[in-house]
Amino acid sequence: MSLQYHVRVSPGDVAPYVLLPGDPGRVEVVASLWDETRHVASNREYVTFTGTYRGVPISCTSTGIGSPSTAIALEELARVGATTFVRIGTSGSLQDRVGVGDLAILDSAIRADGASTLYAPPEFPAVAHHEVVDAAIEATTGLGVRHHVGTTFSTDLFYVPEAGSAFGGYEQSAWRERYADVARANALAAEMEAGVLMVLSRIWGLRGGAIALVADVAEERDESGAFDPQASFDVSEESIERLARVGCETVRILGERDRAREGA
Amino acid sequence: MDSSPIVDRRSTGTLGCAALHRPINHQGIGAYRSQDHARIEGTRSPAAPWYKTPVTVQYHLKLSPGDVAPYVLLPGDPGRVPLVASMWDESHEVASNREYVTFTGTYRGVPISCTSTGIGCPSTAIAMEELARVGATTFVRIGTCGTFQDRVHTGDIAIFDSAARYDGASRLYAPIEFPAVADHEVVSAAIAAGRELGLSFHVGTTRTADSFYALHPRPGSSFGGYWQSSWREHFEDVKRMNVVAAEMEASVIFVLARIWGLRAGGVAIVLDNVLKVSGDSGDFDPQQQFDHGGDEIERLARMGSEIVRILAERDAAA
Repeated sequence: MSLQYHVRVSPGDVAPYVLLPGDPGRVEVVASLWDETRHVASNREYVTFTGTYRGVPISCTSTGIGSPSTAIALEELARVGATTFVRIGTSGSLQDRVGVGDLAILDSAIRADGASTLYAPPEFPAVAHHEVVDAAIEATTGLGVRHHVGTTFSTDLFYVPEAGSAFGGYEQSAWRERYADVARANALAAEMEAGVLMVLSRIWGLRGGAIALVADVAEERDESGAFDPQASFDVSEESIERLARVGCETVRILGERDRAREGA
Repeated sequence: MDSSPIVDRRSTGTLGCAALHRPINHQGIGAYRSQDHARIEGTRSPAAPWYKTPVTVQYHLKLSPGDVAPYVLLPGDPGRVPLVASMWDESHEVASNREYVTFTGTYRGVPISCTSTGIGCPSTAIAMEELARVGATTFVRIGTCGTFQDRVHTGDIAIFDSAARYDGASRLYAPIEFPAVADHEVVSAAIAAGRELGLSFHVGTTRTADSFYALHPRPGSSFGGYWQSSWREHFEDVKRMNVVAAEMEASVIFVLARIWGLRAGGVAIVLDNVLKVSGDSGDFDPQQQFDHGGDEIERLARMGSEIVRILAERDAAA
């Protein structure tokens, strides 16, 4: 297997540990925290940097938005040697106890996406690898960042057919209580990529996990019921850098533990 | 329609839980329970509206508040409950009704209970509902299982971090997309217990199904040779998805604990490889083929009790 069709990476181009933001524009921000870094590839929504963070080899590849482009990124990264995937992205909160600016460590996902169901039936669990969850908890605790551990709602829709969210007020009754029901089932956050990442990692015997910055409260709408993410999302440069730092520290902890185990 | 359950979670703090529980609990267990509630994020307080009707004895399990510890081991077989309890410092039988037998006691200083669930997710869901109502907060399934993977051997331990939901009961609580996932603290404690006891163990996904005799790849497992073509590659497909084990209760335990904000996990001793159990003939006779000597079940009971001890010690330190 040589050069990969979409991500444009070849064996040797990526580290075993890969951070996965959605936005190609954020890859360079993540890489700026490393000891040394090089740009490996850019094609479509896929941008890859590889380098070293506190002595641990690390890569960062953007997935684009949603489970289809994320599945392609994971397929091609795994083919060139990636074994541990840590998504770092933004999310909406589904619980009052989870505030804007908090981090959600996602140990599992509700699979409201299309791509993952083409790989494994919906009965199959989207679950993070316990070593990634443990490392992420240690990283957030070490950096003193407020965090929560729990389930995410991974959906293929950003603008959902509920009142005021989709264009022209398009509505479907099935969505009217969708978020409320998901919140009642104790899900912490909503985002668009973790489900497929966890399913693919698990069926391949690789490790996956996800950390999300809470950028808004999914149930909160202004008086008109309108949904305007440009106005309501709070994604400051500082908070993205904090998320990136937690991702890098998670990789460092995993890398050091892996090394200790191999040495033992 | 309002979204009152979400609001309730915010408005009922852990104080309410402690205030409600402490006076009516046996000393010791009550202290553990309120502490435990306080540290599990998102735990639903028993002060929520559906709990306001006075809870006395539970209909099926015949348990009342104070009868069980916050930490409960869940085997399927009621006959195994006294065996599990025999490993504890002290224990007594609390209740026995239908397939539900409950013992409560102390293991290495930690309050602990063991309740049998019966076979399958419907009776297990009833056990979970009634145990949670009387104050259980951490559920650890201990059972037997088959495996789909050649790397896993008879006598090994499978630690379940998640389950594929081929059951009926869990779908009536949450849609099929919802993950059946163990609490990471229980998984971590199980790994620590496995290492400490020097056991050969594997961490992974279990396939929880509502059937024991169906779904086999060839006719011969179900009575009279009954068979369906959709069964032909079911085991192989599940194997390809990297699933470690096959059993019948974990998914509903994980889903219910997660939606309630409680903790669950599961460990099982591997009795067979499900792909090999019915050789060329397709015949499946568990009585002849399964190997569970008393010491294997004892090992499982020891591991379950150690998981509870580790969790309780970590809870107390947190």
